Amino acid sequence: MIESLLQTLLNGAASGGVYALVALGYTLVFSVLGVINFALGALFSLGGYLTYLLMGGRISANGALPGWGLPLALPFPLALLLAAALTGLASLVVEQLAFAPLRRRNAEPLLYLITSLGAGLVLVNLLQMLMGAEGYAFPANALAGLPAAVMVAGARIRSVQVLLLAVCAAAVLALTLWLERSRGGRALRAVAEDATTARLLGINSDAMLRLAFLLSGALAGLGGGLIGVSISLPGPYVGIGYGLKGLAVLVLGGLGSVPGAIAGGLLMGLAEALVPSQASGWRDALAFAILFAVLLLRPSGLLGRRLVEKV
Amino acid sequence: MLAILGQQADPSAKPVAPVGSSGSALTIGAVIALTGNANLYGQDQRLGLDLARRWSESLPLAPGDPPRRPLKLQLEDGGSDEATAIAAFNLLIKQGVLALIGPTLSQQAFAADPIAQRRGVPVVAPSNTAKGIPQIGPFISRVSAQSSVIAPLSIAEALRRDPAIQRVAVFYAQDDAYSAAEVLIFQKALKARGLAPVTVQRTQLADNDFQIPITAALQLQPQLVVISVQAVAGGNLIRQLRELGYRGQIVVGNGLNTPNIYPICQRWCDGILIAQAYSPELDTPINRTFLRLVRGSNPGQAPSQIAAQAWSSYQVLFEAVQRLQQRGGFEGLNLGQTRAALMEELLAGRYDTPLGPIHFQKDGELVQGRFYVAEVRMDPGGRTGRFALVGDASAPASSAPAATSAATPAASPPER
Repeated sequence: MIESLLQTLLNGAASGGVYALVALGYTLVFSVLGVINFALGALFSLGGYLTYLLMGGRISANGALPGWGLPLALPFPLALLLAAALTGLASLVVEQLAFAPLRRRNAEPLLYLITSLGAGLVLVNLLQMLMGAEGYAFPANALAGLPAAVMVAGARIRSVQVLLLAVCAAAVLALTLWLERSRGGRALRAVAEDATTARLLGINSDAMLRLAFLLSGALAGLGGGLIGVSISLPGPYVGIGYGLKGLAVLVLGGLGSVPGAIAGGLLMGLAEALVPSQASGWRDALAFAILFAVLLLRPSGLLGRRLVEKV
Repeated sequence: MLAILGQQADPSAKPVAPVGSSGSALTIGAVIALTGNANLYGQDQRLGLDLARRWSESLPLAPGDPPRRPLKLQLEDGGSDEATAIAAFNLLIKQGVLALIGPTLSQQAFAADPIAQRRGVPVVAPSNTAKGIPQIGPFISRVSAQSSVIAPLSIAEALRRDPAIQRVAVFYAQDDAYSAAEVLIFQKALKARGLAPVTVQRTQLADNDFQIPITAALQLQPQLVVISVQAVAGGNLIRQLRELGYRGQIVVGNGLNTPNIYPICQRWCDGILIAQAYSPELDTPINRTFLRLVRGSNPGQAPSQIAAQAWSSYQVLFEAVQRLQQRGGFEGLNLGQTRAALMEELLAGRYDTPLGPIHFQKDGELVQGRFYVAEVRMDPGGRTGRFALVGDASAPASSAPAATSAATPAASPPER
C-alpha cells in the first residue's frame, strides 16, 4: 500500500515537473510581454524531435526524407541540452514572425494569441511533413548504464521517471537562482515589473524580451526531450496536450509567478496521479476542477499577485 | 429552379464516355486520414492504394484482349473526425467519382457512408472493422474482417502455449469506440475458456504514461495481459509493462497491427501475440508482388495489414470495373447506372488479394478464408522486427469461401 502510494506520488511529481517546465516557459513571456505564447506546445514537440535526431535517430518511411538522419549520434544528456538550445532559437524565430510585427504596431493582446497559435500550428504541421505521423522512440540504450527500474523504499519505479524528476528539479532551481541572483535575471525581472522604468534605467528591454523567448523555448524543448525519452514521441501533436496543461498550471499558480508555476505544476501532476485508474477518464476533468476551485477561492491563482489597476 | 439547378449539378446523370475517347477514365475517390491522430493508419493506406494503382496500370494486356477501362485514383483527406470525412465524401461525390474507398475509422464510416448510400455510390471500406458497417446499406462493402472473427484467435494461441493460465489482466482505451468494442470480444473469448479477468484497467486514447494502471494490475500477479489500445499507446504500454517487471505473455488487439509499433516498444515488443487478417508470410503470387512493391517503395518500409487491405480495396474495384468493361463496357450507361452495375459486379466477384482469397456476402460483408496469429520477433538491435506467423485458422464455416479453387478468379492477374 505504502509502496503503491510512493510510486503514485513519484509518477505524479515527475509529470508535474514537466508541467512546471512548460508553465515556466509561459510565465517568462507573460511576465515581460503580458501575453500568452500559444506556440509553446509546438516548441515542446520540436524539442522532442530534435533530441531524437541529435541522438542519431532517423526519419522513418513516411517522413519527407525517409531514412535520413544527422551524421552524429550524441549521448542523451548532450542531445537533450543541445536540442533545448536549438528550440530556444526556434522560439526566437517565432518571436520575430508572430510577435515582433504586432509589437511594432502596438496591436491588441488578442492578436498575439492568434498569431502565436498560427505559428504553433504551422510548426506542428511542418514536423508532420518532415517526420511523418508515426511514433518515434529514443534508442533503447539512450539511458545506458541505468537499470530499467529501481526500487525506492520497496516501490518499483522506472529509472527514467526518477531522471525526469531530477532534471526538471535542476532546471527549475537553476532558472530560479538565475532570476534571483544574476544581473541578467534581475534585469529581466525589472522589465517584467515595469518596462518603461527599466528602459530609463538603461536596461535593453527588447534584448530582455528576446531572452525571455529564448529561455521559454529552451524550457519547452527540455520538456519535449524528457517526455520523449520517458514515453516516446507519439506524434507531432505530443506537445499540444502538454502546452494546454502548462497553460492551466500557469493560471493555477498565478499569472507571471515563478514559484506559482512550480507549485501549480506539482499540484496538477499529483492530483492527476491520485486519480484511480478506473476513473482515468475523469483525470483531466479533475485537474481542471482543481483549477476552477482555486480560481474561485483565489482569482489571482495560488501564488499570484492581485492586479491593481493604476489610474 | 433550385431543383433544376440541383439536377444539372448531379453528375450521376452524365453519360460514361467510351474507352479510347477523351474523358473515358473513371475516378475512384479515396477518403483516408492524411491528418489528425488516425494519420498513422492513413499513411499506410495511402501507400497501399498508390501501389495498387501502379500495379494495376502495369498489368500487361494479352493479345486480343479488349482495352481496359482506365481508372484514376483521387485521394482526399478525411481527417480523423466525422465532419472532415463527410465533407470529403460530399466533395468527391459531387465531382462524379465512380466509387469511394474509405474512410479510415469506423466511427467516420457510420457518419459518412449513409451519404454515399443515399447517392448510390459504391463504397469499399479498407479498414472499418466495427459491427454493422456493410449493413448501412446495399452500396456499402468492406475488405476488413470484423474484429469478432479475428481477435479470439490470439487468446486461443496464448492458452495453447500455457494452458495453466488463470489470471488475466485487461487494458483498454475506454474513450475509443474501437477498443471498447474489441475488449468485449476479448473478454467473451476469455469467458468461453472459463477465465474472468482479475482486473480491467481503463486508459484514455491520449495516454502514453501507464505506470499507475500497470502498478495496479501487477499487484494482482497476472499470467496473461490482454491489450486493446491504439498503436503508439500500445507500444508504450508494452514497454512500461516489461520495464516494471512483467514477464508473462501479452496479447494485443488490431490497433497494434502495424509495424509502426516496432520503434516504440523496440526489444520489449518481442513475443507479443496478435491475430491478423493479413500475413506477410502468405506465399501467393499477388502477395509476393505486394511485398516487392512495398519494400521497393521506401527504404525500411515494412508491409502492414492496413496497407494490404487498402491495396485490396482498390484491387476489387479495379477487377470489377474491368470485368464489366470486358462484358460490353459502360456504353449507353450514365454514371448513376454505372455505379449500380459496378456494385452488383463487385459483390458477385471473387478476388485473389494479398489478404488471400476473398469475396463478399450479399450485404457487402467480407468473406475471407484465412486468418493468422503472429508473434512479433524483433531483430537483435531491437529497432525493427516482423510479424512471424505462428498459426493460421480458417474462417468459420458459414463465412468461408465456397471452394478454394473457385477463390482464385480467372480475372486475377499473374504475378509480375
